[in-house]
Amino acid sequence: MAQPSTDGGAAANAAGPEKRYAVEFSASAGEYFRIWIVNLALTIATLGIYSAWAKVRKRRYFYGHTRIDGESFEYRANPIAILKGRLIAVAAIVVFYGVGYFAPLYQLLLWIPLLIGGPWLLVRSLAFNAYNTAYRNVRFRFEGTYGACLKIVLVYGWLVFTGILYPYLKHRLIRFVAENHRYGTTRFEVADFKKPFIGAYANAFGLGFVLAAVVFGAGVVMGQGKAPYLFFGTIVLFYGGLFLLFAYIRARTANAIWSAVRIGPLRFESSLRARDLVWLYFSNLLAIAFTLGLATPWAAVRAMRYRASKTAAIASGPLDGFAEGQAQQVSVTGEEVAELFDIDIAL
Amino acid sequence: MIEFEAAYYDGRTSARKPVRVRGYTLAIQIAGEGLRLDVPLAKVRVDPPVGGTRRALHLPDGAQLQTDDHAAVEALFPRAHLLEGWVHRLERHWLYALAAIALVAAFTWWSVVDGLPLAAKIAAGFVPVTWEAKLGEQTLDFFEGRLCRPSALDAARQQALQRRFAKLTAGLADGYAYRLLPRNCRGVGANAFALPGGAVVMTDALVKLARNDDQISAVLAHEIGHVRHRHGLRMSLQAAGLAALAAALLGDATSITSLATTLPTALLQRGYSRELETEADDYAFQRLREVGLSPKAFAEIMLLLEKDHKKRSGGESRDYFSTHPATAKRIERALTAP
Repeated sequence: MAQPSTDGGAAANAAGPEKRYAVEFSASAGEYFRIWIVNLALTIATLGIYSAWAKVRKRRYFYGHTRIDGESFEYRANPIAILKGRLIAVAAIVVFYGVGYFAPLYQLLLWIPLLIGGPWLLVRSLAFNAYNTAYRNVRFRFEGTYGACLKIVLVYGWLVFTGILYPYLKHRLIRFVAENHRYGTTRFEVADFKKPFIGAYANAFGLGFVLAAVVFGAGVVMGQGKAPYLFFGTIVLFYGGLFLLFAYIRARTANAIWSAVRIGPLRFESSLRARDLVWLYFSNLLAIAFTLGLATPWAAVRAMRYRASKTAAIASGPLDGFAEGQAQQVSVTGEEVAELFDIDIAL
Repeated sequence: MIEFEAAYYDGRTSARKPVRVRGYTLAIQIAGEGLRLDVPLAKVRVDPPVGGTRRALHLPDGAQLQTDDHAAVEALFPRAHLLEGWVHRLERHWLYALAAIALVAAFTWWSVVDGLPLAAKIAAGFVPVTWEAKLGEQTLDFFEGRLCRPSALDAARQQALQRRFAKLTAGLADGYAYRLLPRNCRGVGANAFALPGGAVVMTDALVKLARNDDQISAVLAHEIGHVRHRHGLRMSLQAAGLAALAAALLGDATSITSLATTLPTALLQRGYSRELETEADDYAFQRLREVGLSPKAFAEIMLLLEKDHKKRSGGESRDYFSTHPATAKRIERALTAP
């Protein structure tokens, strides 16, 4: 993936040697902790109304401390718009889960609007986040249409039920998300990342199969009443194995995606490692549990710092030639509802 | 006059231009290579401060200035963002952070102890009985076959117990479909539990433990109290509220979907709170009197359960005592019940 691309964008080939920019993340855990806890307290004191401001402040802190070439990112969302979106989202979630608990049959009916509305939420949420993210005073944009997203869901959605073919659907969705982003007027070009992406899942499935066989074997031995200590060993093995598979998929797929993306003269290098992520997630989990949640901001800063340290932008030309596009109107409802329903396709 | 260094972006491209900005009472003057711009202060929109992040000044036509000179920006726009400026000052001091921890901790404590039970009680009032029954069926499905099989007691014995249960539930007319489900449950021990909607599960071990049938009636009356006061539903709503609270406090509102899995199992995972037990006890004492039995039977069976629990402690059985701790106080209340 490291070889130079052959598509030859005009801007890309115009300049000479490549320049490597590390992605810097300069947030401090202590400072972010104070922001986090003060905003949490204010959210409680205002019965949740302030949560929209809290969200914007926390994001602005993270974006502002993320730098490439010494220039930071900006989060520009308007808290009042977010507050309105949240009110709609909370109403939707109460109806959905309320019906689900007490009348599961009716919830099946609710899946139909969710299936049709899901792609709409995804597209609106991506558009809102992209439009409210800027770098060097040039906004990102997301121009994927509802129709195109719905088509992917309808054509490939059934793959979810096959389990083993699910990675192909995920790959299609991520591809849709990535290639419909713009930085200003510059498109994200996405090379084919199907092979490493699906390869990561294939390896994980293979490992998962071995793991299942070992756990099953241990279960058979225990079934004979011997070696009760195996019980704990098996539990540790099972959850540790799941953790490892999860981290492996996260690391490999993120690397595959980012290595395939090109924005004008820019390409990216992502070198996340599964074993680092296992330790990162595991230690974060322990820290959060043992501090009754107070370590949450520290964990968030630490995760982002790791991610930044393993990502680099490589430019074959200057970064000041990106043009800004037209202003547009982007509503927030999709973003807030999608967030509460966990609809998220992360790059 | 205030003077500071900044980066200028014209709003059309990503090009950065280093500039020097001079701020006057009513305008700022931006000067850089090939650039000279006067902008009235009233047309400049400044972002609220967050931590030590770079400040952005939005100029007309989408242009922007970015600077790390926080003092200069504050001096130029002292009255911008009164609310977020105040929040920013709170965020900068550990003392306020400690106060915030205290507030969050106090709120969380209050929510768990008082707030959520109260909210669940109010919310339960809006749930129709038919929906509540569905919740009970889900819970029943969860352990039928997995944990419990039909009772091994002989038919005549079962019929006698059913008659006792029918006597206790006769004429209640509260909309619940009361039914007694005698079950033989592995690893559960002597126990009985009520499910939302009216199903009361009782293990064979409990029947064997009781010295007489009045003692069984006492336990059943207590379980009927749980049903009538909608304790299962209230505990479920409480668990859902707790998960939502945890998600709101810890995550950025994600992982609420995991609520879906918590609810049916919440009933199994823990017993009722002490307040709810007292409520069910009071109902049991009153109902026993109404059908001509003495609440003393309740005290007797509690003592038996306690003894049984102590005898078997060390094992991992989930008996009645482990989910309904029989404090001396509860026994005394039964003995002195009016």
